[in-house]
Amino acid sequence: MTTLAALAPRSDFPLLAAQPALHYLDSAATSQKPRAVLDAICGFYETANANPHRGAYALSAAATDAYHDARVAIARFLGVADTDCLIFTRGTTEAMNLVASSWGRTHVQAGDEIVITALEHHANFVPWQQLAKSTGATLRIVELCNDQSIDIASMREIVNEKTRVVAITHVSNAVGSITPLDEVVRIVRSRSSAVIVVDGSQAVPHLSVCFDALDVDLYAFSGHKMLGPMGSGGLIGKRALLESMPPYHFGGDMIEWVHDEDSTWNVIPHKFEAGTPNAADAVGLAAAVRYLEALDMAQVRAHELALLELADARLRAMPGVTVFGPPAAQRSGVISFAVDGVHPHDLATIFDQQGVCIRAGHHCAQPLMRRLGVSSTARASFYVYSDGGDVDALCSAVEAAQTMFAVVE
Amino acid sequence: MTSCARVAIGDPDATRMPMRQMTPMLSALYQDRLLAEYRAPKNRRELVDATSHAERKNPVCGDAVQIMVRVERDAIADVAFMGQGCAISTASASLLTQAVAHCETASTLGLVASVGLLLGGEAVDDLPELLDPLRGAVRFSSRHSCVLLPWLALRVALTQGEATRHKRF
Repeated sequence: MTTLAALAPRSDFPLLAAQPALHYLDSAATSQKPRAVLDAICGFYETANANPHRGAYALSAAATDAYHDARVAIARFLGVADTDCLIFTRGTTEAMNLVASSWGRTHVQAGDEIVITALEHHANFVPWQQLAKSTGATLRIVELCNDQSIDIASMREIVNEKTRVVAITHVSNAVGSITPLDEVVRIVRSRSSAVIVVDGSQAVPHLSVCFDALDVDLYAFSGHKMLGPMGSGGLIGKRALLESMPPYHFGGDMIEWVHDEDSTWNVIPHKFEAGTPNAADAVGLAAAVRYLEALDMAQVRAHELALLELADARLRAMPGVTVFGPPAAQRSGVISFAVDGVHPHDLATIFDQQGVCIRAGHHCAQPLMRRLGVSSTARASFYVYSDGGDVDALCSAVEAAQTMFAVVE
Repeated sequence: MTSCARVAIGDPDATRMPMRQMTPMLSALYQDRLLAEYRAPKNRRELVDATSHAERKNPVCGDAVQIMVRVERDAIADVAFMGQGCAISTASASLLTQAVAHCETASTLGLVASVGLLLGGEAVDDLPELLDPLRGAVRFSSRHSCVLLPWLALRVALTQGEATRHKRF
């Protein structure tokens, strides 16, 4: 058995504690939730449940305070000094649709160019593809190197004065490659006045991210991948940009005044948070960031890299196994792989019977799969509760699948 | 405050040891007959004189299968499939082509419905014995879409399939 301990104890995670034989290697899809997060959500409903920003009574004020305090905590974690610049959304998908709809439809027109990469999750691909279709703008796709990292030379060729927006992932969900954002920013700023939008859903849970130091314009993230609840997440943006963008949804809380013929809008962040906010999950997400802060994001990264390097080396040494993506040091805790003669979907079923949960499929990244020449890959992903035993189980499951399908001697 | 105590290094927790044996459920799913169909599928070929065809995609995994049929006098004179997929969808397609060849169109549509009922947990006892390997998938709900992929393509081909002639997929 490999002696690499978990960074966070399984006992902190009720689901993992209740299922000691489970090897959960699908954290890139969604993470498990620590007791602290579950308690925080429950605690909100048990002690502060009222509609934030509405009632003139103490309980409503408590709900408003809890929601506000959550925003402050999460903004601090993400390196955002101006707390109002954190908009709560249901996650990255909604954040990207917000940007493509609100900013895109008022700033992009025929003749403009929209730049994305072949590495993008559908959530950062389809909104821009559809924006291009509806406005007559041109969608340009930055191609990849042979190791599925973004081809920076291709980006230099593609970004020009017609580029209105560059939408790019910080970390690939499918292969784990980490984008050199500082280099991307230099290229974009030196060649265009484009807005830079970053999909941070796979970065924020695993790397130390400081929005104010990145010099990007908009940055989206998902709470459920970083120990927080499903349906939580957000969009961070520069104040002037957010203030210039029209609302995405209309309704309560986002208005300043409603006249018969027209309306005026509330200030940010409320302008983008129509309706009763998901305050309980914001409180839960704040508990998640406090948990991660206690672990220390540098330690989180070091832990995942140690697991990744171990798994990477062992899988690459197995006959008939192909690992996708750049070298481990350039990836987050994701290992995307294929086994000769065994379809990823069959792998996942066989793994499941051994208590090993992996993702098999196109990972919502069909443009990338086409470039890899496959319909799908198998993906194992690590997080703070993963340990060396998970790597052992992963490798053992590969051997079991190969034996069952008789693809190795 | 959250505890960040690390699990003891090298803790020989037996319940965390990898399991190496195959479960009976898994052995029933990947039985020899199913794997044989996967390794050497029948009728995976183009059908140049097909009278209709249809493609079905599985958005979960990205697999796609095309079914081509030549219907003569309300019966399936020939049927073939194309596409790459998992063991289950490939074996299912191979078995499909053998099960419905020379069957009447109406009874073939009945067989498609029976396969759906089988996966829905119904006691379907009039399936051809040839299709028995598909029974192993009943308890794997996440794989039902793999079994059904070619059958649903066949139903579309027979009911609303695009007419084809020398079409290359």
